[in-house]
Amino acid sequence: MKLIHKLEPLWWILFGAGGFVAGFFLPALLLGVLILAPLGLLGDGLSYDRAHALAASLPGKVFLSAVISLVLWHCAHHLRHFALDLGSHSLAPLAAYVSYGLALAGTVATLAIVGAL
Amino acid sequence: MSAHAPAAPKTRTAPPRPPSGFPLGFYRYRNYVLFAATSVFMALGCFALLEAVYALSRGEAAWNAWLAAMAKPHFLVLSTVILLFTLYFAFRFGWVGRKIGAGRIGPVPRPPLPMLVLGVAPLGGFVTLWLILLAVLAGVLR
Repeated sequence: MKLIHKLEPLWWILFGAGGFVAGFFLPALLLGVLILAPLGLLGDGLSYDRAHALAASLPGKVFLSAVISLVLWHCAHHLRHFALDLGSHSLAPLAAYVSYGLALAGTVATLAIVGAL
Repeated sequence: MSAHAPAAPKTRTAPPRPPSGFPLGFYRYRNYVLFAATSVFMALGCFALLEAVYALSRGEAAWNAWLAAMAKPHFLVLSTVILLFTLYFAFRFGWVGRKIGAGRIGPVPRPPLPMLVLGVAPLGGFVTLWLILLAVLAGVLR
């Protein structure tokens, strides 16, 4: 737990960066990829060839990696502190390890999957 | 201070406790809980995006199968709920930003802009970027 407290500035930087990234990009990304594309409302915009070309380009890879991983760290930090707000101070180490552990696993998975494109 | 000086007595503090009525007894608390809940749904949205990228990495058939699966009604409902929570986050995040802009940091004076303008500016920036990103996804901007 000492390490978690020592790295507190890092968690807050990731939280802030993730919040900005989520505000700037996430709604449009979710609307486009999770709703409009499956409904066929984007035309050929996200056909396989074009979607792959967009995602596999260097800017696309950097963008996807940054958005997904930073938002995950933002969510992890927010939920860790919300768990403390709910009064589970005895569970503070568990909340920290579970939330940051999931964010770390998500980041590793994101880098691996996006890197393999 | 000498290394041998006696340590100052620790200030006594009350044990931490949640405010009365927390978490759902007051509308501000409910908004706060709703804001925290956005993190659960935004994380779900990120994992769904990751699944999309994974499908993309496995070829055209996998990508088309993923699109077909996401077009099923229950997934569309879930995606819409995720989007609504994300929009709530973005608007609240942008709206809170006006207070950061209006704050005084050291000798820097309060900007002369009214709070409404300070709030509308980040939200306008968000919406503009969303439209640009949607245009790129739709192939209108290349």
